[in-house]
Amino acid sequence: MILFTHFLNKVTFLLILGLLFFPSLANSKEIKQENPVVNEERIRIAVFPVENLSGTVAPLKEIRQMFIEKLWAKGVDVLDEETLEKFMAKYRIRYTGGVTAEIAKGFKQDINVSGVLITSLELYSDANPPKISLISRLVSTGENPSILWMDGVGLAGDDSRGLFDLGLIEDPEVLLKKAVKIMFHSMGRYLAKRTDGRGDYSARKRYRPKISYRSASFDPNRKYTVAIAPFFNYGLRKYAGDILVLHFAKELKRFDHFDLIEMGVVRQAFLEMRIILDQGVSLSDADSIAGLLNADLILGGDVTDYEDYQGVWGVPRVSFSAQLIEKKSREVVWSSNSYNEGDEGVLFFDFGRVNTASAMVSQMARLIGRMILQDGRRVERVKGSSGKVK
Amino acid sequence: MRVISKLDRFRFFSFLAFVLLIACASSKSTYIDPNMDFGAVKNVAVMPFVSLARDPIVAERVRDVFINRLMATGAVYVVPVGEAARGVARGEVQNPSAPSPEEAVKLGGIIKVQAVITGTVREYGEVRSGTASSNIISISLQMIETQTGKVVWTDSSTRGGISIWDRLFGGGGKPMNKVTEKAVNDLIYALLK
Repeated sequence: MILFTHFLNKVTFLLILGLLFFPSLANSKEIKQENPVVNEERIRIAVFPVENLSGTVAPLKEIRQMFIEKLWAKGVDVLDEETLEKFMAKYRIRYTGGVTAEIAKGFKQDINVSGVLITSLELYSDANPPKISLISRLVSTGENPSILWMDGVGLAGDDSRGLFDLGLIEDPEVLLKKAVKIMFHSMGRYLAKRTDGRGDYSARKRYRPKISYRSASFDPNRKYTVAIAPFFNYGLRKYAGDILVLHFAKELKRFDHFDLIEMGVVRQAFLEMRIILDQGVSLSDADSIAGLLNADLILGGDVTDYEDYQGVWGVPRVSFSAQLIEKKSREVVWSSNSYNEGDEGVLFFDFGRVNTASAMVSQMARLIGRMILQDGRRVERVKGSSGKVK
Repeated sequence: MRVISKLDRFRFFSFLAFVLLIACASSKSTYIDPNMDFGAVKNVAVMPFVSLARDPIVAERVRDVFINRLMATGAVYVVPVGEAARGVARGEVQNPSAPSPEEAVKLGGIIKVQAVITGTVREYGEVRSGTASSNIISISLQMIETQTGKVVWTDSSTRGGISIWDRLFGGGGKPMNKVTEKAVNDLIYALLK
């Protein structure tokens, strides 16, 4: 009897200990691999001021400073403030959400910068529990700017509350640091030449588009150059169309079959062609843009809902349509309609709940990318590529 | 006595069948031009819908669902919404949601479509009755042939609303998106059958 009680006590003690440590283990993978060694010679990166798509006042300078400090810590040579300011004044750069071909060329020729780090702040809420969503990308400089690395993160303070709320984050700064850490874990992997983020296609099935069409003439086994046009925003959330473009770019970049054109270059092409989108991309717009950028596909669409919430009560809600227009056939080769809410499929204890629209739309866009290529079948890898669609 | 019983039973079942038949009957809201060859319609443009509901965005929501569902059937190709907007601008269509026969013909020439579909969202959202609530949608569509500018097909569909189940057990009915898809499916089935 004494032995039994003793054993039971031991089990109970271990169980409580395990539960207490459980929340802190949630992100152990990120913490362990915080500082991967940069394999390359010292590269020079310019960090653009953070583009604010949150529609609210946010600590943009602090976020940028965090990024600069992390880059220094990784052994990256960050372009100093004065030189960057002079360069931005010279090229009259006001838009910091992308890089045009001219600016990329200038960066390489004038100040020998190898890459530009562009960060967009999608969501910032300091109401308890805080929420933050960031999307960053590293764009190459020179004649043809291309996206080298791109990733995003959407976090809420109550994503993993844990037992007795031990995992609850109430301080926005702590959450911001966590978000930056996750971003740099991903970027560090790229800088260490391990991976550029391709190959991870996993997403929950509930985020599949509700209605989809893929043209029979579309060949999923060839490689396409894709230009993403701004999504037409019918919703109430400011910049929802631009946010969706970033998410699609981030997710489609995972696939070897898509080569994405830098968004700044696409934006410049729209300005040069004096195209003003009326409801969506027309065939003549698609012709002009694809011709100018040498793109095979133009991705466009519209957003009807892009809702985040503040505080504890509420659910994120996203609803959009996406269309791919092929340059060669002048046809819509993919069309889909997606909508989801953060509490879908949640049966008990908020298990599986998503607290930010960013985290949700990432999976929705990823599944669209998968379905464009898969159509229920396995897709062979593109010759010379590193990954495949499972 | 046994014969009378059989007759009663026959009468009872006949009456039941009659009642069931009446209950299943629905008022026909479809118009189809008997001279129209719907098989020849391969490309269509879906014009912006009119919303009679409180929220003006619902017209775009329903239009999106309709376009994607129609394309997903594989029977008809829908030109991109941007292309339809370009046609409206170039054809100087006064009211894209209800083009005149001349404007429809002009539109067909510009964006190379055989038909133009217009629609009205008559009801969209939550309805309440006592303590019960549910989602409802009511849509009506029409197809205009671009060769003649004639209306060749009209139909409407209403889905959702408060059912006996909702009254008895509550629950708020089906989600709005599901109800919308059902109503759109009804219309597409009627168009393609």
